[in-house]
Amino acid sequence: MKLKQNILLPLVLVSAMTQANENITQQSNQWYKAAQQTLQENIAIKLNTKRAKNVIILVADGNGVGTNYATRIWQGQKNGLLGEEYVLPQEKFPHIALVKTYNTNAQTPDSAGTGTAMHSGVKTKAGMLGVDDSVVRGDCSAVAAGSVDSIAEILAKKGKAIGIISTARLTHATPASVYAHSADRNFEDNTKLPEGCVGQKDIAVQLIEKMASGEVDFAMGGGRRHFLPKDVKDGENKSGRRTDGKNLIEKAQGFGAQYAWDQASFDKLDTSGDKPVLALFESSHMKYEHDRTNEPSLAQMVEKGIKTLSNNKQGYFLHVEAGRVDHASHDGNAHRAMTDGAAFMAAVKKAVELTNSEDTLIIVTADHEHAIAFNGYCGRGTPITGLCMGIDTKGTKHTNTPEKADDGKPYTVLGYLNGSGSVLKEDQNWTGTRPALTQADAIDPDYIQQALIPKSSETHSGEDVAVYASGPWAHLFNGTVEQNYIFHVMLHAATN
Amino acid sequence: MNRRQLIQQSLAVVSMSLMLPAVSLAVQRPFKIRDLYNKDLTFSDYANVEVGKPVFISGYMAPPLKANANFFVLTARPMSVCPFCETEAEWPDDILLVYTKRPVEVISYNTRITTKGILQLGTQTDSSTGFVSRVRMISSIYDRA
Repeated sequence: MKLKQNILLPLVLVSAMTQANENITQQSNQWYKAAQQTLQENIAIKLNTKRAKNVIILVADGNGVGTNYATRIWQGQKNGLLGEEYVLPQEKFPHIALVKTYNTNAQTPDSAGTGTAMHSGVKTKAGMLGVDDSVVRGDCSAVAAGSVDSIAEILAKKGKAIGIISTARLTHATPASVYAHSADRNFEDNTKLPEGCVGQKDIAVQLIEKMASGEVDFAMGGGRRHFLPKDVKDGENKSGRRTDGKNLIEKAQGFGAQYAWDQASFDKLDTSGDKPVLALFESSHMKYEHDRTNEPSLAQMVEKGIKTLSNNKQGYFLHVEAGRVDHASHDGNAHRAMTDGAAFMAAVKKAVELTNSEDTLIIVTADHEHAIAFNGYCGRGTPITGLCMGIDTKGTKHTNTPEKADDGKPYTVLGYLNGSGSVLKEDQNWTGTRPALTQADAIDPDYIQQALIPKSSETHSGEDVAVYASGPWAHLFNGTVEQNYIFHVMLHAATN
Repeated sequence: MNRRQLIQQSLAVVSMSLMLPAVSLAVQRPFKIRDLYNKDLTFSDYANVEVGKPVFISGYMAPPLKANANFFVLTARPMSVCPFCETEAEWPDDILLVYTKRPVEVISYNTRITTKGILQLGTQTDSSTGFVSRVRMISSIYDRA
């Protein structure tokens, strides 16, 4: 097979070159030439079948194909382009697949079930962490029998350093799916455990115990309140939630962990890898990128994580989550979904810059999509969070004249099918009309996109997401795959 | 918004109030909650200048904490609660407690409203509810924006 490939490759190259040199009318067209260049780049791709020393998986929560498309245009427009032509960092990766995200009992998945699939190799029910679908959600007694091994647990036993970074609470579903086994994602501290629950510990305790045992070396995100007793105030004068008296931050410091809670203490963290790192920047989730102050960006956290974990000669596994893309879409606020999406892209770029694709498998994906949708017909360069502007038949850029719906009012490019932006209002007996809308309204950072179905929180959708990959065995991602397959590629790449 | 724009907008509001005393709140040009804060959540120049004066602020009425209340919480964006993501409502940092002249008639949490009242700054705990606020409006009236 290899010999056959070696013989065929030059022939294919020659064939492609010959085609390019034929006298084709449009061959000087810029689009034609750009596509020819892409063709040659793809022909030249070499498959990397080395063992991956390092594995990094970056997950933007709720960043399905549609949301990713919006962030691409947003970032392109921020860079002074029309936007559509922009290429996000992971879109330069050589390998991609579509991912089916459903949970075993849910067409529309949640982040606990999807996180478990990605990190443990089996799909499970919505709302559960690190257990298979034999467990009934909330049944603590079934956790021990239903627990499954995560990629972090497996690779830690093989000597790799383990890091977890999230802009959400570290006890929230996606980061917790890396290390925790819980019958319910909401068991973030002892107050959420049901009475008489002896089959598992709360999620915050599980993280600290993993750090104490050396299975987790670097944990950075939000969620201080779940690590502190209720009578203890944190660095920002907010109270803990725990009622069992456990101060898990002090416990971590007791076994030698460095602790950071703001930008200054983050900047002082020692990256030698000699001491575990625990950083908790907010009482709850970290701030949206748009509102961020006195805490590091996701890219800064990734840089700190890679520099720290790289000291381990046997390599590392690093999970990175942009947790608040999801929250912004739940709010129906596209502006923050885009700005947190852009922060995620900066983190991906940083991960690529700091690693070598020869020995590091980088996977970029999402856990699920949202009920996001895009209107037409908008001209090129229409601001992605703004009004849909007309197509200029004489040129390229949009007409700067808003398109109007049949009600005579303009509408935005981007909307959500449901959510708090619903035009149907409870105090009007669930009737309503679309409010008048200006471009200034639409591009305001606090604008809530119009929606149809009234829901306090906009929902996920079951639509496919993409998985992009580079590095060892990245070519195993192709076609349309089940989400739990991601674990199997990571494991194969790191252990083959 | 820079300081010059703030001053211009303040003047515009004052001017409109003087010229059109009977005009409905819906046609005023209100400020937004974010105009009260700097990014680090310290009070803005606008807030410090306007404290003790009548101000117009737009936002959303969070679902009232109790029936027949004479106050509500104004939020910059509708108070969304994701049942999958959270077990309880998460109050944002930038909220405004609005004490009303009359018992509150609830407006849907996702309908933009404009409020007019006297601006108060400084941490205060409500004696009846225990609700802690940093910014308040008192003697307030409100309407759909």
